Amino acid sequence: MPEPDTGVTGEPAAARPGGERVRTGSGPGRLLVAVYAIFALAAGARAGVQIGTKFSDAPLAYSLSAFAAAVYVLATVALARGGRTSFRVAVTACSVELAGVLAIGTLSLVDRAAFPDATVWSGYGEGYGFVPLVLPVVGLLWLRRTARRARTGG
Amino acid sequence: MTTALATAIIVVALLIAVYALVTALRGRAMGLPDLIGLGVLEVLLIAQAVVGFVKLSGDEGPKHPATFIGYLLAVLVIPVAGAAWGLLERTRWGSAVLVVAGVAVAVMIVRMNQLWSGSA
Repeated sequence: MPEPDTGVTGEPAAARPGGERVRTGSGPGRLLVAVYAIFALAAGARAGVQIGTKFSDAPLAYSLSAFAAAVYVLATVALARGGRTSFRVAVTACSVELAGVLAIGTLSLVDRAAFPDATVWSGYGEGYGFVPLVLPVVGLLWLRRTARRARTGG
Repeated sequence: MTTALATAIIVVALLIAVYALVTALRGRAMGLPDLIGLGVLEVLLIAQAVVGFVKLSGDEGPKHPATFIGYLLAVLVIPVAGAAWGLLERTRWGSAVLVVAGVAVAVMIVRMNQLWSGSA
């Protein structure tokens, strides 16, 4: 296998800033997109099953699962695509996610009766190793970093 | 689910994750060993899907198998997606994606075991 040009910083040559495009999906961004993709898959599959088989059991929780899944899919696609519009979409998606996990996490602890079944965001994402809580924060930090690099051109 | 197959899958998935982690820490892109590992993993997962469906049709397994079937099929995507990603991103971050993929497969198998035995 040929050795790739990784440069001193370990960044791929192609991802070095200088281009106008905000590159959120290359380098470390790939890792973020991968984790987002898995969560989009997990949340989407879960919501599909819940809504398809027992929606009346916990309509609020299941609707939220579906909403969470949609936000994950949006964030995954936006982060992977890069570029100006996608950047805004990604920031919005990550922010909504952070707000969602904090709001639903708190609600699920305060009012357990409203959530007879868990969502991805219940208990601040405890069912998923708290990754749903950490992910939007990492996402927003990464977006800020790529934006800064794109602005300064290096 | 068969315990032997599930254990084999978890072991292979974690081996891939550890190997890819070392590769990533050394700043290398994914190599042939990773691809072979992912290939083996995919074959094992396909075998598991076949066995799973046969057993489900034989009235074994969880009472409401929808979630289990979802996992059974969704997990098939991960090694393929990981390999594609690793080939696309020829840097340490391509290897890092494989760490995520390996751990994700292992976690999903553990979860499937719980669903199968009805312990969660």
